[in-house]
Amino acid sequence: MKKEKAARVWDIFQNFFRFGCFTFGGGWSIVAQIQKEYVEKKKWITAEELLDFTSVGRSLPGLMIGNASVLFGYQAAGLAGALAALFGVIVPPFLIMIGVTVIYGLVKDNPYVARAMMGVRAAVAPIIISALVKLFKAGMKDAFCYVVAIAAMALSLFTDISNILIVVMGAAAGLIWGEVRERRAVS
Amino acid sequence: MLYLELFLSFLLIGFTSFGGMSMIPLINDQMLSHGWMTAQEVADIVAIAEMTPGPLGLNCATFAGSRTAGALGALSATLGVVTPSITVCLLAAVFITRFKENRLMEHALFGIRPVCIGMIAAIVVTQCQNNYAGTLLFGVSWQAILIGVVALVLLLKFKWNVPKTILVSAALGLVLGG
Repeated sequence: MKKEKAARVWDIFQNFFRFGCFTFGGGWSIVAQIQKEYVEKKKWITAEELLDFTSVGRSLPGLMIGNASVLFGYQAAGLAGALAALFGVIVPPFLIMIGVTVIYGLVKDNPYVARAMMGVRAAVAPIIISALVKLFKAGMKDAFCYVVAIAAMALSLFTDISNILIVVMGAAAGLIWGEVRERRAVS
Repeated sequence: MLYLELFLSFLLIGFTSFGGMSMIPLINDQMLSHGWMTAQEVADIVAIAEMTPGPLGLNCATFAGSRTAGALGALSATLGVVTPSITVCLLAAVFITRFKENRLMEHALFGIRPVCIGMIAAIVVTQCQNNYAGTLLFGVSWQAILIGVVALVLLLKFKWNVPKTILVSAALGLVLGG
């Protein structure tokens, strides 16, 4: 029994290490890979369970991929499984990024690189805008959302209040608004 | 101590962000207020993190930690940013059925999502101020604006993915200069 669990933990670490090497473009690619490996091939979890992991993982603070990995690993092989999945998925990007940072430091001031980086930086605002368009569809449900979004934007741009505090204020506003809506629905 | 500061800073970022782009405003804030990075470097991390495998928040933590305090700094920042997964999320894993439809969490998120949208919109404004500034007419760089418009059209109209768009933008930057 113990041996079987150790084998599972090792299996999780290996596979999540592999997932970690190829998770481009946000968290959805890794969800697809878990689906293929552990829902379809090994049948350790069901498709519904995986869906729960991603939706719970997304609604908790932190990295969505990290959270979904912990939820999956815990379900599949307990605490050791959770840690194996988390560290498996973060070690490859960690190592790659350390290499990238060293290269960045070396080539940043090269005139050709500087010109290419000017182009890349010019693309950053459009990239953020395109992400914003998608978030807008999912997150803006009613007038309350517009008021909160505009207030958050104004506070972030024109005051010294830290963004961390603004998130906390948003959570508080959401809790209060949720109470108000429920009381209205009752009466 | 720099390592501890990096750890705590990314711990705060981790606990107040809810995936993907929502991390960028928080990282921007922390990097600039500690003087660990310039706004231009923050733009660079976003682009680099989008081009390399791994979640955006993790890549930003590694890059920021590594730039400010080497490999150990990268480790400190990364451990900070994954702490929510090891703590809150692990607890949720134990009680998953109760977390699945938690009313209070849903209410809090109803407020957090638009806040993230507002903060990300604010980041767009500051990024524009930084990355389209130049010496030419009206203090703007026409090359950067041209590239920005091309990138926006590729992403929104032609549904290009981000790495491909970044490559084209880099090539345009190389050709147009700046």
